[in-house]
Amino acid sequence: MEYLVLRNESVAENGYRLALDLSKDHHRPIPGQFYNIRCSDRMDPLLRRPFSMHRLTKENGILCLQILYRVIGKGTEWLSVRKNGETLDLLGPLGNGFVLNTRTDVVLAARGIGIAPLYAVAETVRALVPESRLHILMGARFKDRVFYQEELERLGSLYLYTDDGSLGFRGRAPELLLHLLETGKVPRTCSLYACGPASMLMELSAISQRFGFDGQVALETHMGCGFGACLSCAIPLRPDSIKKTPLWKKPALQWSEDGCTCYSLICKDGPVYDIREVDWNEWLA
Amino acid sequence: MSGLPDGSVHIGPLQLKNPVMPASGTFGYAEEYASFMDLNLLGAIVVKTITLKPRVGSYPHRSTEVASGLLASIGLQNVGIKRFIEDKLPFFEELNTPLIVNIGGESIEDYVGLAQLLDQQALVRGIELNVSCPNVRKGGMHFGVDPEVLRELVSRVRQVTGKALVVKLTPVVTDIRPFGEICQRQGADAVSLINAPVGMAVDIKTRRSRLGKNLTGGLTGPAIKPLALCCVWRVCRTVDLPVIGIGGISSLEDALEFFIAGACAVQVGTWNFINPRITLEIIEGLKKYMEDHRLRTLAELRGTFGGTDTKGQ
Repeated sequence: MEYLVLRNESVAENGYRLALDLSKDHHRPIPGQFYNIRCSDRMDPLLRRPFSMHRLTKENGILCLQILYRVIGKGTEWLSVRKNGETLDLLGPLGNGFVLNTRTDVVLAARGIGIAPLYAVAETVRALVPESRLHILMGARFKDRVFYQEELERLGSLYLYTDDGSLGFRGRAPELLLHLLETGKVPRTCSLYACGPASMLMELSAISQRFGFDGQVALETHMGCGFGACLSCAIPLRPDSIKKTPLWKKPALQWSEDGCTCYSLICKDGPVYDIREVDWNEWLA
Repeated sequence: MSGLPDGSVHIGPLQLKNPVMPASGTFGYAEEYASFMDLNLLGAIVVKTITLKPRVGSYPHRSTEVASGLLASIGLQNVGIKRFIEDKLPFFEELNTPLIVNIGGESIEDYVGLAQLLDQQALVRGIELNVSCPNVRKGGMHFGVDPEVLRELVSRVRQVTGKALVVKLTPVVTDIRPFGEICQRQGADAVSLINAPVGMAVDIKTRRSRLGKNLTGGLTGPAIKPLALCCVWRVCRTVDLPVIGIGGISSLEDALEFFIAGACAVQVGTWNFINPRITLEIIEGLKKYMEDHRLRTLAELRGTFGGTDTKGQ
């Protein structure tokens, strides 16, 4: 389906925010769901690229879908030069989104562009549970890669981190979260929502288990189709921890005959998973 | 010219209302595409390879994009024949589009067993033999590159099913034509080609495969179209069987090239991922093309390639 580009603006070094007119589409995305966008008008780059819903806003009466993205290759480079008035070919909303609970303390842990779907979580939590306390962990390798400070400060308590210490806490998101938990700045009764590199999510998973709080992660990966046909985006789950609910039906699980291995498709069963169900070691191997 | 152009084709006992179908492995079990299109408009539906036992498939990371192509190692992930018949087949009760089930095995007995089970299913109208999967350790490609093995395989499967029997050939052989001839002699109703040739891509930072532990994968998409077209042309000149053209088709024009080269039908693969409605767009485009060019039947277009063969090909 074709969507009109309303804006496509630079928000950081290599970071862009795209606004599309969603008013003709009756589907409404929820935080964590994604759109598969054709980022090409030729054969190379070939496949669509998945982008999570960043914000859903109303601007001058027009329902507007915002996508936050970083230019990392040919597809996103093509996307970054699209102008308002042009149209883009989108499939979506696809996948399963976050299941938001009503805990008072909500932790959002992002690295770089991982903030894109978490921003939608923050806005939705704010609307659903106005008294909630949002703790936002945002960072990158070094200072110049950190962006969106002002926007995030408006939503909750912002904790910045950089790997080299050039801005905020010196270290990565898991270390920062550990520090906040140990110093009591974040209570152990929190809920965690995270998006970033798999290695970061794996470490956050270990922390959530150690402190006994729940969490959900939005995974990033290359996809072939985005709707469960190509079976490219398989991820191993831990057979004893798979979470199936009416909202997370997981139609794409594939079990081995002996029941010891279970693969899930990120595009169909995810991209949001419970933080305990992904077999991180196998996924990162 | 009176009446609508007739795009129907015959594949053994099967009559297809038009010559366009999705390629196995790119269309799931068809239900994945139901929200995008009316599946009844397709000439046929070819579902993902089914094996006797369920398979979890290859390790992640299973695919990577290359120039105008997709390199993938899915490793025949599928639910297995039992669950396919119990859970996936009922979906086709509501459809009138012929269902062709692609099957794969580790031994000739596997294929025979699968064909026997599917032969009993009224909803299954055809069987396509995957003798050329590049991404499994046992079987897979083996059946499609050894003439003796292929001969026995086609012959044994033919004995146990009267359904339309299609054999999907690999281009990863010195000369594909003798393999087409074997299929014809052993009673196949059609051959489909090409299955994905094997390829690889290297991550120059890590010096490892961009397909992780899988190392290599099947190359599909527009990148393989010239290779596919040449194979189809050669096989069409050699066998007296319907040939289904597969490989990099992304538009009506691509499909027409295959018909002109001699194909009686086409399968659309990777482009389904980019445009899930591409098969229908090709069907619509073909109707208009036939009207515009005053073609009453596809036979008037098929094999009309006009080149002079100066190299004795």
